[in-house]
Amino acid sequence: MAILVDKSSKVMVQGMTGGAGKFHTARMLTYGTNIVGGTSPGKGGQEVEGKPVFDTVVECVENTGADVSAIFLPARFVMEAAIEAIRAGVKFLVIVPEHIPIHDMLHVRREAVAHGATVIGGNTAGVMTPGEANLGIMPDIAFKPGRVGTVSRSGSITYYVADTLTRTGYGETTCVGLGGDPVLGSTFDEILLKFEDDPKTKAVVMCGEIGGVYEERACNVIPDMKTPVLAMIGGIYAPPGKRMGHAGAIVEGKMGTAKEKLEMLADAGAHPCKTFLDIPETLKKLGV
Amino acid sequence: MRLYEYEGKQLFEKFKIPVSARRLAKSPDEVFKIVEKMKEPVVLKAQVLSGGRGKAGGIKIAEGANEARTYADELFKLTIKGYPVDAILIEPKLDIKQEYYIGVTIDRANYKLVLIASGEGGVDIEETAEKHPDKIFKLPLDISEDVYTFDALLIAKKIGLPQELIKEGAAIIISLYNMFRKYDAKLVEINPLVLTADGKLLAADARVSLDDDAVFRHPELQEMGIESRHEEGEMTPREKQAQDWGIPYLDLDGNIGMFPGGAGFGIMGNDFIHHYGGQPANFMDSGGGPSPERIAKMLVLLDQKPEVKVIFGARFGGISRCDDFAKGVIMFLKDHGLSKPLVMRMTGNMWQEGVRMFEEAKEANPELFEHIEFHGIETPIEEISKRAVELASLEGGN
Repeated sequence: MAILVDKSSKVMVQGMTGGAGKFHTARMLTYGTNIVGGTSPGKGGQEVEGKPVFDTVVECVENTGADVSAIFLPARFVMEAAIEAIRAGVKFLVIVPEHIPIHDMLHVRREAVAHGATVIGGNTAGVMTPGEANLGIMPDIAFKPGRVGTVSRSGSITYYVADTLTRTGYGETTCVGLGGDPVLGSTFDEILLKFEDDPKTKAVVMCGEIGGVYEERACNVIPDMKTPVLAMIGGIYAPPGKRMGHAGAIVEGKMGTAKEKLEMLADAGAHPCKTFLDIPETLKKLGV
Repeated sequence: MRLYEYEGKQLFEKFKIPVSARRLAKSPDEVFKIVEKMKEPVVLKAQVLSGGRGKAGGIKIAEGANEARTYADELFKLTIKGYPVDAILIEPKLDIKQEYYIGVTIDRANYKLVLIASGEGGVDIEETAEKHPDKIFKLPLDISEDVYTFDALLIAKKIGLPQELIKEGAAIIISLYNMFRKYDAKLVEINPLVLTADGKLLAADARVSLDDDAVFRHPELQEMGIESRHEEGEMTPREKQAQDWGIPYLDLDGNIGMFPGGAGFGIMGNDFIHHYGGQPANFMDSGGGPSPERIAKMLVLLDQKPEVKVIFGARFGGISRCDDFAKGVIMFLKDHGLSKPLVMRMTGNMWQEGVRMFEEAKEANPELFEHIEFHGIETPIEEISKRAVELASLEGGN
């Protein structure tokens, strides 16, 4: 078991004929990801790495049964592409490009909620279920099948955490990159609950970051989870960031500092970690 | 992208939000000429991209042209939170009876737009929100939703607009919300919305912040003379240099030069250095998939900073490939040489290729690699962090 993707997932690539699309299609296939096709408007009928390219997602889904999509398109085309996939019945989307306009992401999120789809990103390294599927841009060297799930905003932190879990023999069930953009398709609490439902995941490592607004939402679900949650927050020593006007302060309250976020998570029952090496030590104590 | 008040008011006018007649001046003489013609008391407002302008002395009231010139002399010499004053907005002085607040922003955690209003506008609105949350009204809205007139009317009544201005107030609320959506805003604020003694509603200030990532779809802004710009406060010369090169960079007070990969470890790496007793000299982010040229420029920034005693490099190649990283480091070494120790770790996509390139370059020019300690996936990043702290203490500095 895993969450979000496994070897049975039928993966399509939106923007398959572009430079990044081609490069990462080949990489994902090499890993063993079950890529069934892709789209590129006007290029229907072509092939990339032997997989069929369609003009639209509807055609791709009809012909290949794709249920997962990885998007490799310039930011300005992402909203339409994501909504196209969601309306065509794709249930899980990974938005790799960064700098997606914020209002666009609000529209994407709305469509996803309305159709019961899950979106991660923008600016995500993707999702990796070791030994089964690599969706996005993650380097496979860090990963090995195992029993700990990870969810992090940043790609590089995902790699470091997985690297640590791999070298200490825990391995990973699934590693999820939430993404680094200001408004993201999914939130920490939503991914944590998916791990909670996965019998193979014995613990979850979540890594938040200063400036994020989704860390606090994790506190709503951690107290009721049976799966232990380990938490790291980047930016404990970061210089205070800029705030966004009065309205931002009124709506988002006093944005939690990294330290406050970590304390809040600890109060909710998460096990705080300061370095990556704290992770295996904590897992050992928990008997994972 | 933050707009100046005078630019925000241009947008307000487009959306029929009432604003005063106004003129922009770029010198004390210009201020004098404009005020001389106006023949009424005026308010002079420094145009800067920062809040807290009033409290910093950036707003002056002048009765006549001579007084206006004297104040203008002072204002043009001011620097407000790092922003020099290059322009002054001149408006007739208002006879203010009441100040209200209206704003729209994004509640990111809940994926909603939020309309905010209060009967107690002005500079202390945040304090009001904290101490008297009951005096702030919030209406969450979906991005695809319009504001209904009845909702806007209810808000106008709740914040206490006089009965005869309820409909006009509602129209302002709706316009502000529409403007927010039309221009991909992150924040729009009228603070204060002023009720004048003669019973008029006017947006006395305009705070508008647009999404940098969406400016491309609003070419009309440029037609209105609103140029695309970065948000910058007070910058060190090195930060300015980094910005010109497109590299997110902040100067910090320590002596360990941080040469990380993406922003994630850029932030966490600084925590690690602190954790092991060191002090980072900077924050930096290579961005996704940096070119070798960009990698070399990142090293130039650190090499040129005298406070940096040791450079701490970390690359976990995802979309950023290790071969490009190695190419950039080698390019830098060949062009500049490196006088400071560099301790680094590299792994991830294309790492074998990266290692091969380093080994070849080292064989050809061993002297360039004299100060470089190179590690691969077998060494945990914590060990590298400790080593950087150790080297920094050996090198001295702060």
